[in-house]
Amino acid sequence: MAIMNAQPSFRPAGPLSASPLAPYTGPWNARLAAHLLRRAGFGGSPSDVARLARLSSGEAVEAMLFVPAVDPLPALPPLVDDESALRVTVRNAKHEMAANEMSPDAYKIVKKQRGFERHEQERADVAWWLNRMLATNAPLQEKMTLFLHGHFATKTRSKGIYGLDIAEQNALLRRHALGNFRELVHQISKDRAMLKWLDGARNVKAQPNENYARELMELFTLGIGNYTEHDVRESARAFTGWTFRKPDGPVYFDAAEHDDGVKTFLGRTGQFDGDAIVDIIMAQPAASKFLAGKLLNFFVYNEPEPELVEALAAVLRKHDFDLKPVLATLFQSQVFYSDRSYRALVKSPVEFVVGTCRLLGVSEAQPEFFAVLTRMGQLPFRPPSVKGWDGGASWLSSGTMLARANFVSSVLAVPATMQSTTWLTQGAGFDSAEASHRLVDGILQGDASPESVARLKTYLDDADSGQKLSVENFDQRMRGAAYLTMAMPAYQLA
Amino acid sequence: MKRTRFLLGTISGLTLAARSDSLFGLAIAQPVLPGNGSAVAERVLVVVNLQGGNDGLNTIVPHGSPAYYRLRPSLAIAPSDVLAIDREIGFNPKMKSLKSMYDNGLVAVVQGAGYPEPDHSHFRSTEIWQTGVPERIENSGWVGRFLDESKLPESNLFNAVAVSPVLPQVMIARSVDVPAIESLSGYGLESDRNASERSAYSSVLRNGRMPFNSPYLATVAEIEDHAQRGSEQLPKLVAGYRTSASYPATGIGRSLALAAQIIGSKLGTRVIYVQHGSFDTHVSQRTPQDRLLGELSDALKAFYDDLAAHGNDKRTLTMTFSEFGRRVAENASRGTDHGEAGPMLLVGGGLKGGVYGQHPAFDRLDNGDITYTTDFRSVYATVIEKWFACPTEGIIAGTFPTIAALG
Repeated sequence: MAIMNAQPSFRPAGPLSASPLAPYTGPWNARLAAHLLRRAGFGGSPSDVARLARLSSGEAVEAMLFVPAVDPLPALPPLVDDESALRVTVRNAKHEMAANEMSPDAYKIVKKQRGFERHEQERADVAWWLNRMLATNAPLQEKMTLFLHGHFATKTRSKGIYGLDIAEQNALLRRHALGNFRELVHQISKDRAMLKWLDGARNVKAQPNENYARELMELFTLGIGNYTEHDVRESARAFTGWTFRKPDGPVYFDAAEHDDGVKTFLGRTGQFDGDAIVDIIMAQPAASKFLAGKLLNFFVYNEPEPELVEALAAVLRKHDFDLKPVLATLFQSQVFYSDRSYRALVKSPVEFVVGTCRLLGVSEAQPEFFAVLTRMGQLPFRPPSVKGWDGGASWLSSGTMLARANFVSSVLAVPATMQSTTWLTQGAGFDSAEASHRLVDGILQGDASPESVARLKTYLDDADSGQKLSVENFDQRMRGAAYLTMAMPAYQLA
Repeated sequence: MKRTRFLLGTISGLTLAARSDSLFGLAIAQPVLPGNGSAVAERVLVVVNLQGGNDGLNTIVPHGSPAYYRLRPSLAIAPSDVLAIDREIGFNPKMKSLKSMYDNGLVAVVQGAGYPEPDHSHFRSTEIWQTGVPERIENSGWVGRFLDESKLPESNLFNAVAVSPVLPQVMIARSVDVPAIESLSGYGLESDRNASERSAYSSVLRNGRMPFNSPYLATVAEIEDHAQRGSEQLPKLVAGYRTSASYPATGIGRSLALAAQIIGSKLGTRVIYVQHGSFDTHVSQRTPQDRLLGELSDALKAFYDDLAAHGNDKRTLTMTFSEFGRRVAENASRGTDHGEAGPMLLVGGGLKGGVYGQHPAFDRLDNGDITYTTDFRSVYATVIEKWFACPTEGIIAGTFPTIAALG
């Protein structure tokens, strides 16, 4: 018996063109520039959009692909307190308690203090990354780092992972964000946070642990169905030996714990080590398809057609997994600028928060963003699982939508926001029709229905009180109207 | 959440109305099931997701099996610590509260729940348990399809509630939008500062003639509208409820406290989802799993105390599930890796307590894993048919024997 539910689909309607990745040659305007800025970056103010719109589409993509030779932003978050020092403090306290030199209650306080410091460190880590997203002039590098964090999803404050582990992994992802994906897979296999997260450090010759080997193939490279349980067991053996001594010490190869025996893996037989396994995996046709599908879902639209996936997979293979030329092809493609892609994705919470700050000229992450992102369902460094965030429709629930609206409201309520949002307030008269268009153009590139624009005008006019828009009520009403504009459905869509 | 377009929803709504008269008729013709004393239409199911793959062998412990002790030299729970049900099995020592409920006939243990050709991936197996469809990729959840088939009033925004930050797949329906509410305090628009803003808010969400098309447009508008109206209604609807138990200060305690409040406020809610975990104990399993099981057990006790004080215990059935059990033999890290079958717990005043299904057979392991003896869809079918008096057609594909714990 068939289950009757039709599969709801979020693939755009209508047919895909014959050469979806051929270069786009159509008109270039602010609407498409804003589209590129949202997808390849985190959006921006109307003047950011105008700057891109003045370039050619090719130059605009070049600008997004820029990576500075020397990173001007802090490479690691500030260390609130040294994790190893925290460990020593607690260990000493434990000894003192054992020797009756410290009461159990005093020991509890020391432990609680460590928990508190770790929490502070996590908040500092999140703020550090959000600030990078807000300040960077290499937006795609930062966006790809976010993509890769969701791809190689590793969770902090879990399995012995703390600030420095996750910060160093983040730096690794950033170094390869526009580099070579295969090289990144090699590197992440020896990353300390990953060795903790998927038990690689416990994967030893005598008793192999399959966790990393399985997720490597299922979630990082091939996808389910492209390997067997036998391949999982054999590759787990190959990855044995990579470990670290101190919890924040360097990763090294321990030959004594490595199983150098013969393995049979994906139809090949040899004395494979972890690097050999990665190379075999990345030579599978499934590897390019898997990554292509994930890139399309993240940057273009959900549920991409198999032929589109295969087209991008071919580009990945052609460039041997070098990401920069692949992304250049994608962001210059016909399909990217077609109606199929336009506003076809749901903004992730990080995109929503960072984009709103960039739009409103908020230059620094606020302490409450930590709780805000948690309520919206995407706290960086805390993916729900190694699968990362599902994205798409999973961002949408009544609870997360309320969190989004409340965030917008709280940002607008800060007096400095209205001062920094000069495009909204300066040089404007008190003409409510002009003001409502200014809002809808600045925030949504005009993507609102005439009915909604008319409703904004009514709000600005405040027919109930009979008090027209004026110097006395201008700030307060524009703030309310900006809130309403950002509640419109288009603002949830990237 | 209704993950479909408005148009589709309307069409399917019509179809539903046309063909589900008989279903609705069934509920009316048989309002009270014998022995339970609760009207079918007032019955509630609470689904508890033990996320990460709960180790069933250290939950319902086979303390009569030498093989269990042989394969788990450091992880096995000593026979003297087990809260024995009989000479073969017993509860984890941290589950004292649940054991006392078991002794009072409020708990049914279903042994060996799983499905054919088990998948060891968290994600695929979670998907299988949540959709109830192991054979192929399915989008809707089994609870979602039950909600679709139940012809619930569209005007009710709380036909089902997920107590979670994002909507779990089990609640994805075609015609019912399930709100995900993590906590009552965060569920509201702080920005409803004045009437003029409030009235404008709802009208700007209406689509009108949009200058673009997006596969998500209708869904976003609908959820925003439900969020606004729902958050305005919910605090008022549940404000009269007074909690009659002291819940532990844990995530699962808070979630079940909210579930009791929603149930006690009689909003017409049929299914509530809560989650607990993570049970993914590859390393040093004993401490974290024992803690999580203790939290679950204490929270369930408080939950049923609260429900009972308001006369809701007999109309509330709780069902736990987890994407898989864990491997029988412990690993080198005093943990366990992904396994296959595991026990499910049913809790409530309307069931026949006891142990159902066969105990794990250590002589019939599947590559070191417990082979399933009860198809999990048997438990789902039991809940649908016996608890909700609803045919499983359109919800569960195939026929599965029901379990005697209900009905």
